[in-house]
Amino acid sequence: MKLAADRILSLLLLGLAAFVAVQAWQLEVPFSYDPVGPKAFPLILAGLLAVLAVVLFVRPGASGEWPTGALLLRLLFTMAVLGLYAALFINLGFLVTTALVSIVIAWLFGAGPLKAVVGGLLLAVGSYLLFTYGLGISLPTGSWIEPLLGSN
Amino acid sequence: MFDFLIQGFGVALTPLNLGLAFLGALLGTLFGALPGIGPINGIAILMPLAYTLGLPAESALILLAGIYTGSEYGGRMSSILLNVPGDAGAVMTTLDGHPLAKKGLAGPALGLSAVSSFIGATVAIIGLTLFAPLLAIVAVKFGPAEFFALMIFAFASMSAMMGKDPLKTLIGAVLGVLISTVGVDSGTGVLRFTFDMPELYDGIDFVVMIIGLFAVSEILLMLEHAFRHDQDGEMAPIGRVMVKMSEVLYCKWAILRSSVIGFVIGVLPGTGASVASAVAYTTEKRISDHDNSFGTGNMRGLAAPEAANNASAAGSFVPMLTLGIPGSGTTAILLGALMLYNINPGPMMFREQPVVVGGLIASLYIGNVMLLLLNLPLAGVFARVLQVPRWLLVPSVAILAFVGVYQLHSDLMAIYLMLVIGVFGYLLRKFGFSLAPVVLGFVLGGLMEENLRRALSISGGDAGILFQSKLSIGLWIAAALVVLVPMFAGKLKAKFLPAAKAS
Amino acid sequence: MPQNHMSKAKGLQRWLVAAVTGSALLAGAVQAQAKPPECIAPAKPGGGYDLTCRLAANGLQEAKLIDEPMMVSYMPGGIGAVAYNHVTGVRDDDPNLIVAASTGAALNLALGKFGIKHKVDDVRWVGALGVDYGAVVVRKDAPWNNLDELMKALKKDPSSVVIGAGGTVGSQDWMKAALMAKADDVDPRKLRYVSFEGGGEALAALLGEHIQVFTGDLAELKPQLDSGEIRILAALSEERMGGPYADIPTAKEQGYDVEWPIWRGYYMGPDVSDEEYQAWADRLKALSETESFAKLREGRGLFPMAKFGEDFHQYVKDQVADFQQLSKEVGLTQ
Repeated sequence: MKLAADRILSLLLLGLAAFVAVQAWQLEVPFSYDPVGPKAFPLILAGLLAVLAVVLFVRPGASGEWPTGALLLRLLFTMAVLGLYAALFINLGFLVTTALVSIVIAWLFGAGPLKAVVGGLLLAVGSYLLFTYGLGISLPTGSWIEPLLGSN
Repeated sequence: MFDFLIQGFGVALTPLNLGLAFLGALLGTLFGALPGIGPINGIAILMPLAYTLGLPAESALILLAGIYTGSEYGGRMSSILLNVPGDAGAVMTTLDGHPLAKKGLAGPALGLSAVSSFIGATVAIIGLTLFAPLLAIVAVKFGPAEFFALMIFAFASMSAMMGKDPLKTLIGAVLGVLISTVGVDSGTGVLRFTFDMPELYDGIDFVVMIIGLFAVSEILLMLEHAFRHDQDGEMAPIGRVMVKMSEVLYCKWAILRSSVIGFVIGVLPGTGASVASAVAYTTEKRISDHDNSFGTGNMRGLAAPEAANNASAAGSFVPMLTLGIPGSGTTAILLGALMLYNINPGPMMFREQPVVVGGLIASLYIGNVMLLLLNLPLAGVFARVLQVPRWLLVPSVAILAFVGVYQLHSDLMAIYLMLVIGVFGYLLRKFGFSLAPVVLGFVLGGLMEENLRRALSISGGDAGILFQSKLSIGLWIAAALVVLVPMFAGKLKAKFLPAAKAS
Repeated sequence: MPQNHMSKAKGLQRWLVAAVTGSALLAGAVQAQAKPPECIAPAKPGGGYDLTCRLAANGLQEAKLIDEPMMVSYMPGGIGAVAYNHVTGVRDDDPNLIVAASTGAALNLALGKFGIKHKVDDVRWVGALGVDYGAVVVRKDAPWNNLDELMKALKKDPSSVVIGAGGTVGSQDWMKAALMAKADDVDPRKLRYVSFEGGGEALAALLGEHIQVFTGDLAELKPQLDSGEIRILAALSEERMGGPYADIPTAKEQGYDVEWPIWRGYYMGPDVSDEEYQAWADRLKALSETESFAKLREGRGLFPMAKFGEDFHQYVKDQVADFQQLSKEVGLTQ
């Protein structure tokens, strides 16, 4: 039996509501000056969310179109690329990571290899110049470059 | 009485200060246009510049004020063109601004928002000039109980946004409020939902939240559209670039109403452009959305939040200049800038520093004219961003998102958090949620809880305090009307409309 | 017509590029090249830590004690814990980096809010450039004429007075109120205390008659003091401050032994060499002795404080130990 997407969502929301309620319940409060305290709000929200989730389970909407196969892979790949971008952002530096990520994304969006490489490089250099010199924002240069510059 | 203003125009109209006002307006527009780098960061980045150049206090303030107002103008660009809000005040602008751009009306949308911004700011600056000292007294009367009632009113007006899926609007708002509870509890100092991660102690940062929700999820959606070669994947056509006079006139009441709303909310310490634009948008939808076209590219739905966020920017100068209390994060940093010049804004400032105050207010007038002149012709240029092929546009969005968050936090965790929120935003959109209720729940929910608990701390637990002042009673009545009137209006319509048709 | 428009747009674009390049040159002139000194403000722009960093940045540059302008960057999160983590973990030996701190950071360390594993000795406290003091503030029309009257009212019925300030339970604003209560044997938990988002909002609530007493900071209140909107019942300093504050009695001289200095200082990474550490301590000390800095400090609303190097490190260490003791006394920790 295939569940409607909204039914899966409602189960997820119920789980979230339960999680929030348990977490809020376990808060240790030394003392509070207001009668509401830090627990009440999350507990009420969890209750509200649970009720809404049940309503959603009873009356789910249309399921919509969900990515599968090649598209799903591409989406996951894009998130992985962005995650790597974050992981390497500081150590490899803005210029290198941005160029690489731009090239990969451009390619994902259907640019040819030449276009992607030229576009990615231009984007990286252009945005670096705009941010550093135009707006005075300091971006990571990358730890690998520092020994080359001879500083510390 | 307005000596200080005449003196101020004398100061602001010198070539150096005119040039600085222009530079501020230009840089501000740029800062605002880049998602994540809003007015606060723009000012923080340029403050040392003003100081290093050895500018006198009034010139520095003119430059910084130009950046502030300019970035409120700039914030709408990425909202309209990319569906990615440039800053907190520009979230509501996406609702009708982006659909307009998709219809090929990016140019007119940018033009209209420039005009609305101009009128909103002008109304607010006039209000600031005329009533600043008076308003300051009223503003402090707004205590926790009144703020709580205001938040109830704001949530009640949100019922206007229920649209076709009220259930998911509600769930979205609840999720938004839940996210606002993350971090150190503002009353007891207890950590809520932080899972031992210090990065979460201060709560989830607004910029990380909106960049994740909007920008990252937009990247994923664009990939999907490109893969499926569907309509949304195509570039929007560029139609006309200038806004028509008739379109501005169509929105005139929306703009004026929202200007007043924005100014009043801006004056209150503790609320800013995000609350102002949200209340203006929902109020306008209630008043003038007769054919239920808000959210699909209605010009008024664009004009209202735009007028309001600029009006609130000018309004937040009131408590800063008269009481020495910042009305928003941005005026807090302006206050800091003044302190570097040994000027302590406060009740005595109008008397002791008339040149600085007058120069600042005069430069707000001048800066606004400049911004209008700068932004109207630029509308056509910026509208062309939509013609940039996807394979170049998408990496640009990613770069802006990363730099915006990194610049603000100098920390990788914030970037990871942005990506996680991005996936969350993508899933929400796939499930058919609108993001606006989530953001509104996030902004309003925190304020609502804090102020409820403050009010009850003051009264020692007596809930009567919530209905004590005329201001709060007025807001409760307004909240009730906002919900009840349309319900009855709907019934009345159903009763009389068929009859009217028959006759 | 489209042709015409295109050229117009091109013209504008060129002009825009020119303008950006122009500002680039401006910004480039002050922007650093390789490895300028840096100050991390462990908060968002605009707050007290931002100003603490700018105090050093602007002061050092004006006094020509650094060759290149100091960069100020922001690392908000965990009320300073994220920056503490960063400096103890990632940039633990960066000789060009100082981080802004204050009494609040010492308090958070004492309460274990930076994480149990972080101790005061995990960084090198390098110096403080100024200090402000806590103050007990009321509206000009308040029923209490001095601290004693207020304290008597509190003693009689702790819940009869609404106290507000810009911090949660356990924050330094709260500590001021709790210590005042303690000084008169009133249980801090019996107070009626309201926490606001920063001192500005609390001050607005005082002026708007939502709260009756505000435990704020002395120098920050100068504009409102000048205009006569507020009265300061007591300064939480060791002795009376001079100038515009000469008429404000200390809590101590009114018989309540409470002091609350809010220093503004800096720390460095744990593995910075002794020479580099000493160089920074000397630099800050030299700065504090220049005349131009005295003006800057006054503008920022700070009183002089001269503690540098090991001297300052010991001071912070002692303070953290004191705070641990205090937090037990006021019932915050076991």
